[in-house]
Amino acid sequence: MRLSDIMGAADLSVYAEIAMLLFIAAFVAIVISIFAPSRKRMYDDASRMPLDDEHPQTPR
Amino acid sequence: MNARLDSFSYDDDIVRKFLWATMIWGLVGMLFGLIVAIQLTLPESNVAPYWTFGRLRPLHTNAVIFAFAGNAWFTGAYYSSQRLLKTRMWSDGLSKFHFWGWQAIIVAAALTLPLGLTQSKEYAELEWPIDIAIAVVWVAFAVNFFVTMAKRRERHIFVAIWFYIASIITVAILHIFNNLSVPAGLFKSYSIYAGVQDAFMQWWYGHNAVAFFLTTPFLGLMYYFMPKAADRPVFSYRLSILHFWSLVFLYIWAGPHHLHYTALPDWASTLGMLFSVMLWMPSWGGMVNGLLTLRGAWHKVTEDPILKFFVVAVTAYGMSTFEGPMLSIKSVNALAHYTDWIIAHVHTGALGWNGFMTFGMVYWLAPRLFQTEMFSKKLMEWHFWLATFGILLYVVAIYSAGATQGLMWRAFDETGRLQYPDFVETVMRLMPMYWVRVAGGTIYIVGLILGIYNLYRTWAARPAVYEVPVIQAAPLNPAYAEVHAPSAGGLWARFTSMHWHRRWEGMPLFFSVMTAVAVIVASLFEIIPTFLIKSNVPTIASVKPYTPLELAGRDIYQREGCFNCHSQMVRPLMHETERYGDYSKPGESVYEHPFLWGSRRIGPDLARLGGKYPDLWHVRHMHTPTDVVPKSIMPAYPKLQTNVLNFTAIQRSVDAMAMVGVPYGDAVNKAPAMARAQAAQVAAAIEAAGGPTGLADKEIVALTAYLQRLGRDLRNATTPTAQQPLVAPPGGSR
Repeated sequence: MRLSDIMGAADLSVYAEIAMLLFIAAFVAIVISIFAPSRKRMYDDASRMPLDDEHPQTPR
Repeated sequence: MNARLDSFSYDDDIVRKFLWATMIWGLVGMLFGLIVAIQLTLPESNVAPYWTFGRLRPLHTNAVIFAFAGNAWFTGAYYSSQRLLKTRMWSDGLSKFHFWGWQAIIVAAALTLPLGLTQSKEYAELEWPIDIAIAVVWVAFAVNFFVTMAKRRERHIFVAIWFYIASIITVAILHIFNNLSVPAGLFKSYSIYAGVQDAFMQWWYGHNAVAFFLTTPFLGLMYYFMPKAADRPVFSYRLSILHFWSLVFLYIWAGPHHLHYTALPDWASTLGMLFSVMLWMPSWGGMVNGLLTLRGAWHKVTEDPILKFFVVAVTAYGMSTFEGPMLSIKSVNALAHYTDWIIAHVHTGALGWNGFMTFGMVYWLAPRLFQTEMFSKKLMEWHFWLATFGILLYVVAIYSAGATQGLMWRAFDETGRLQYPDFVETVMRLMPMYWVRVAGGTIYIVGLILGIYNLYRTWAARPAVYEVPVIQAAPLNPAYAEVHAPSAGGLWARFTSMHWHRRWEGMPLFFSVMTAVAVIVASLFEIIPTFLIKSNVPTIASVKPYTPLELAGRDIYQREGCFNCHSQMVRPLMHETERYGDYSKPGESVYEHPFLWGSRRIGPDLARLGGKYPDLWHVRHMHTPTDVVPKSIMPAYPKLQTNVLNFTAIQRSVDAMAMVGVPYGDAVNKAPAMARAQAAQVAAAIEAAGGPTGLADKEIVALTAYLQRLGRDLRNATTPTAQQPLVAPPGGSR
């Protein structure tokens, strides 16, 4: 009996759909968290990083 | 604060090296593009064996993807990463090893592909020894990159670097798993996957080569160099994070849209379509983010050719990422697949997005790297307008060619018969558009040559010794505590405070692992069912492995790159079954290591070729195609009639195929003898039909035997009941 016989009998084709739903859930979670208002300052700083990179930084 | 400052300098020498490699390989790759474009219009410019479309087209694609775009990414990555991380690359030695190793691989590709050494999987053509070299060089690049990140002096890792990380990791995974194969000698190997599974792996790889070699690395470049050139911050950093995670989560699923209506299971195809359509939104989010970074700087665009290049690049990104999802919709794909539409789509992306992004970046870098003024702004303007005009000519012509041919293939006349039953008629119709493509491509290349000249003159005016500025920055404080500690007040508040995400960002290794998990989990969920669930690939009892001679013929088919122009996959569409015969079944491909379904029909599909013509037809066709198909644009292969077939090598091929699971039985011991016996029969039949004599040990016999086998097994299954329709479509009558 080959592995594919066992897996075939287990009928796992629904797993792809489950994975898709999991991924969509994770994605929605990321979207919500990114747009949470608490990080505005950090985002503003980060968006300037390409422009600031020639100067020494304050120690962090 | 009174912290100690480290003094260090950036390694710009490596950036200069990659910059030159980018431009020179770009020219080479595009020249080969022009050569293959001309070969389609002037078949005489194919000179077998080394200089044919089938062997040079992979050279073109590999050169522009891995040599041009690859080196462009490395140029920008080495420049921006050091500055964003406030540290020199960890090891100059590894940087150099990466550079020279990568160039050596490109040279190896440029030598082996015209020699006909190929794995026959698109953008993964290079044979196994080169694949191993790629893996080694990639590991060196990755190690250098990750240790540099660990030694950084900037707490937050900028989003451009995330894009680089995701690209490095994903390319490694894709490369390794798609190229798993069993060698048959130093220059030949057989994919461990067969048929449907191999196709699935290949397009999982192929589409993500587009995603993680041509898209995400260049988005990293966009998020760094556009703000630089415009002197404006990134429009929305939030959007850039969203852009990043959406691409990482979605792209990896999209591959199956390359296989709509093929023998791939329907659920996989649908999944690929859904994720591809979803990709549209984050892609446009990214495009808008790029364009709006120019807010308040639009007046500069009229004066600054660099910004012009960037604006067109981002616009081209927007166009191709709208078109991509559209093409992945099954009904649209039914028209566009196998036609030039896909070629036009790819070139909007490659010439527009990758090309213009690269040129803008190179022009921004050149005065800084060569520490002098750019030689000529006027030449930059010329480059920009020539390239823009060249792209327009190219894509408008090739879009029309694609739509024209697709519509001609599916046209029925009022009596219900194919309106253009003669395939070559649909090819002839494209010739004017092919010439416009040649013109457009030439103009684009002229622009590039002006660019290289401009860079050369700039470089020639460089100072005798480059100044190496000393940079000062404080090391990261190991006792650093988050300013925004997680707020109390429940799980939800902690979650939305994003504290966890910031901690990930501070831990490059962990962050990389999470990216890898997202990519791997998606891949596994999509791919594993195809491998393990039997119902996805129903077997057909009459499908048997190729005979040793046919296998040798198949090796020749691969060597000559026939799959670049001929598909072997009839889709279950009315016009295709009318034109070619019964549609292809998954079970037919179970011994196809690798699969040879093809992706473009410059010539007709061959899945049902066996028995359609007599042996002698094939012999004459290979010798001089126009003798039997007067308008054919196929290259002539007269040498196949004189090249002696290497019978002893057949044993190695059969053994390797047996090792990947093809039930070869007796043939594992006496393949050469079996091949000789069959070759003698075929040669005798050719001779009896009035063909050339003495072909029994020549390559043409093996190739003929292979071509005559195509599609035969399915017909054998139904021969006893030949009165009935060949095979009933799934789910009853049509």
